Amino acid sequence: MASLDIQMTVNGRPVKQSVSPHLRLLDFLREELHWTGSKEGCGAGECGSCSVFVDGVLMKSCLMPVAKAQHSEIETIEGLEEQGKLNVLQQAFQKTGASQCGYCIPGMMMAATAALRANPYAGREEIKERLGGNICRCTGYQKMFEATELARDVMNGKLTIEVLKEENEEGPFIGSNSFRIDTSSKVTGALKYAGDMVMPQMLHMQVLRSPYPHAEILELDTSEAEAMAGVEAVVTHRDVKGIDGFGVFTDDQPVLARGKVRYVGEAIAAVAAEDLLTAKEALKKIKVRYRQLVAITKTEDAIKPGAVIIHDDVPDNIVMHIPIRKGNVVKGMAEADFVIEETYYTQAVEHAYLEPEAGLAYLDADGTLVIQSPSQNITHHRQKLAKILDMPVNRVRMIMSPVGGGFGGKEDMHYQGILALAVLKCRRPVRYVFTREESIIASAKRHPFSIKYQLGLNRDGLIQASKIHMLADGGAYNCSTEGVMRKAAILAAGPYAIENLMVDAIGIYTNNTPSGAMRSFGAMQSQFATECHLDLCAEKLEMDPVELRRKNFFKEGDETHTRQELGSVSMLEVFNSALDLADWETGMSNSRGATRSDLAQSGNRPPCTLGARQIPLETIPTGQAS
Amino acid sequence: MNAPLRKFPKQKRGRGVAAGWYGIARTATIDRAAAWAELDDGGTAKIITGVTEIGEGILTVLAQIVADELGIRPKDVTIGDNDTARSPEAAHAGATRQTYMIGNAVALACREARQRLVKEIAQKWQVSEDDIICSNGIIRTLDHSQSMTMSEAVKYCKNCGVVPVGSGTFTANHTGLDPENGSGNPWQAYVYGAQVAEVEVDTETGEVQVLGVWASHDVGRAVNPQGVEGQIEGGVVMAVGQTLMEDYKQEGGYPTSINFAKYILPTSLDVPQVNSVIIEDPDPLSPLGVKGIGEPSMIPTAPAIINAIYDAVGVRIHSLPATPEKVLAALREKRERADTHEMLA
Repeated sequence: MASLDIQMTVNGRPVKQSVSPHLRLLDFLREELHWTGSKEGCGAGECGSCSVFVDGVLMKSCLMPVAKAQHSEIETIEGLEEQGKLNVLQQAFQKTGASQCGYCIPGMMMAATAALRANPYAGREEIKERLGGNICRCTGYQKMFEATELARDVMNGKLTIEVLKEENEEGPFIGSNSFRIDTSSKVTGALKYAGDMVMPQMLHMQVLRSPYPHAEILELDTSEAEAMAGVEAVVTHRDVKGIDGFGVFTDDQPVLARGKVRYVGEAIAAVAAEDLLTAKEALKKIKVRYRQLVAITKTEDAIKPGAVIIHDDVPDNIVMHIPIRKGNVVKGMAEADFVIEETYYTQAVEHAYLEPEAGLAYLDADGTLVIQSPSQNITHHRQKLAKILDMPVNRVRMIMSPVGGGFGGKEDMHYQGILALAVLKCRRPVRYVFTREESIIASAKRHPFSIKYQLGLNRDGLIQASKIHMLADGGAYNCSTEGVMRKAAILAAGPYAIENLMVDAIGIYTNNTPSGAMRSFGAMQSQFATECHLDLCAEKLEMDPVELRRKNFFKEGDETHTRQELGSVSMLEVFNSALDLADWETGMSNSRGATRSDLAQSGNRPPCTLGARQIPLETIPTGQAS
Repeated sequence: MNAPLRKFPKQKRGRGVAAGWYGIARTATIDRAAAWAELDDGGTAKIITGVTEIGEGILTVLAQIVADELGIRPKDVTIGDNDTARSPEAAHAGATRQTYMIGNAVALACREARQRLVKEIAQKWQVSEDDIICSNGIIRTLDHSQSMTMSEAVKYCKNCGVVPVGSGTFTANHTGLDPENGSGNPWQAYVYGAQVAEVEVDTETGEVQVLGVWASHDVGRAVNPQGVEGQIEGGVVMAVGQTLMEDYKQEGGYPTSINFAKYILPTSLDVPQVNSVIIEDPDPLSPLGVKGIGEPSMIPTAPAIINAIYDAVGVRIHSLPATPEKVLAALREKRERADTHEMLA
């Protein structure tokens, strides 16, 4: 392969290296120089996690061929510290708690640095614009804005460095804003996520994935790939020694497809090779012959009589049906003054953690299989893997590497099993790093729901009966569908005392991307319907929606929808405090935006208007206001 | 900052409110977590638990709990975590369970370790164990007659032949649901939340901007208020994404939004100002009174926004996300309905 002699300065040190010309600047920094502070989040310039300075200009290093950076001066996150101490901006990120998972932080720090270099007096709106090319999935950005402003004011001498100190050094500590113990590792780029880790003799893994939503695998021939130079192992379902299958609730998903694929992106075979390119090339040599099957992609089609069966042992395609029954709904509806119906829909949602899945697996000296990955459930994954590999549970060791965002999406064991098979086959360390596209198609999503809602109320607003029927698309495998249905059902009717109740949550197999655990786990979907529906009902009843809620809230001693007696219930206080905080104006629920007087108070941001900005003269530093 | 209303009539403002509730830790099944603690040389502490930090700040929360339980400082705490071969089971990062389950397990482990140490020191000082307190690196009698540093105390304890260690296991006694009627005690701790959202809807483009969210959440007891706020802000913004723009699309089983150019996420320019208030109604069934916030923070956001859109422009969006296309279509339908009504009248 052709090579390229690269010379540049990285964080003040000269670098000279002969590299493959296909490398991007990001690859060069991370894989050749092991400056792994700059992260790959999307590989397409969308997320900004890879941002670095090239000759003082903020650039996304995933978009820059390394040759373009020839003879340039590069600054990365690792270069920000001053004499081994956190600089002002880093300290400000620490002070405000602006880093959570930390994966976007290197890019975000570089963007915030660029913002303050470009305009040391930048206001909140300008800071927002300058951070606009960087995505953070954890923090909601608020504390990043605060941190950048705080650093700005300290650097301008408006505030002293004292404001960056920890507020409480003597205790008690519960109730105080102690600094996050992981901040400095995150704002310096020192923390190693799984994709940053390397080991001697490490191999690179790539995975062949299904191009079809539903197909039989008639033939799977890996011989040509195995014969390639540089390929150490090709693994398929045939390498599974134990009982194949994983899942959070039932083990319905094979580590690698077994005779059938059930969604686009399902893993079929994997290659472990000396380098990434060889592994990718080898995937092309794997021969798979498919017979396409009818794909079911709508929940209503999946439960029609005679529908194609997705899992042989589940002939009705129903993963889980959770019913909740209380009182007499028919009677309750009949006695209600109003019965109001509506149907609500929620969509599939991607977790979009900034760190795509990655793992490094190897054998300990004593033969214990070790898997380091951002797994949200090491306990469960260890049990599953031991069963799949037919190994004693204490010979499987799961270590959670730092997690660059999870939100439920890293509870599924989508790739740790594949890594395990590869390591056991070639007995060398194997690393697998997903691309963003791979992460999106292969991993589980938030369940899309359709929710038929029927609420019976009295004229005075008291809820008499509630009937909620939910269908959720579980996709190709169970993952967490069972649990999501349970939580959706239990919490669906909301924090309201209701005597007559009928709730059904039904999770259904389809040939869509599997649905799984995601933050708020079914309760987000079901309560979305409830809270929209209450406003609709309030309007029909010509009531204040606030009063309607207050009238029905649970209180201490009430029975929940599952007939549990409640202890202390803070609902009313919480509700009132939110309204107080917002200075909410009481009124009917009839589209009164045009007349209400509580709008546009402090607590709002200004509406977003990109482009020309009015800058007050006094904020422009002397010497620039020419 | 005060955001004045625009003069142009095409942008309409409105507000909406929504409530929500959530259960803490695993649903309808017994939940458990464990930890080991050691009061270590130099008056430091070593905590070993299978806790899995995913960015929410649980390690910091644990360090604060340990500091208060042992009378040391968070920076004196070393946490060995997330390794199935080296640490006791603490199970998964999810179900808004880590502060509740693992926080309480760690507190129990610390109490046992502390008790081992205090027993030796009480004997030395000839006082009751109840008369001893540990705080900010110092162990002393209540009446200040005796004191030493925690570092000295650990050394003394070890010289007596005792390593001050402890273990803790915490249980949440949840029961399964009846398969016919769903009755059961799925959780022992519940939290409640409510949020107000203010939106601006552009009636010409259908674009919705969420300008402000006022969020109130009961978390039991806020170990790190800034961290709680961070969870609320993150949850609200994730929900803003789901309410207005995020949509994982598939056509006949083929995903079409497979990168961040097609799958649109909220950026710094899309997010509202989030104003939070934390309510503390401590859980009576656990040693610390803590509950949780990770997931419940995003429950009320979407309906508050949807209700605010109705308040602003009089259209109810029943399906997420409320994209500009959907809002425009709803506005058009509303106008056509009004026109028909006028014609008939």
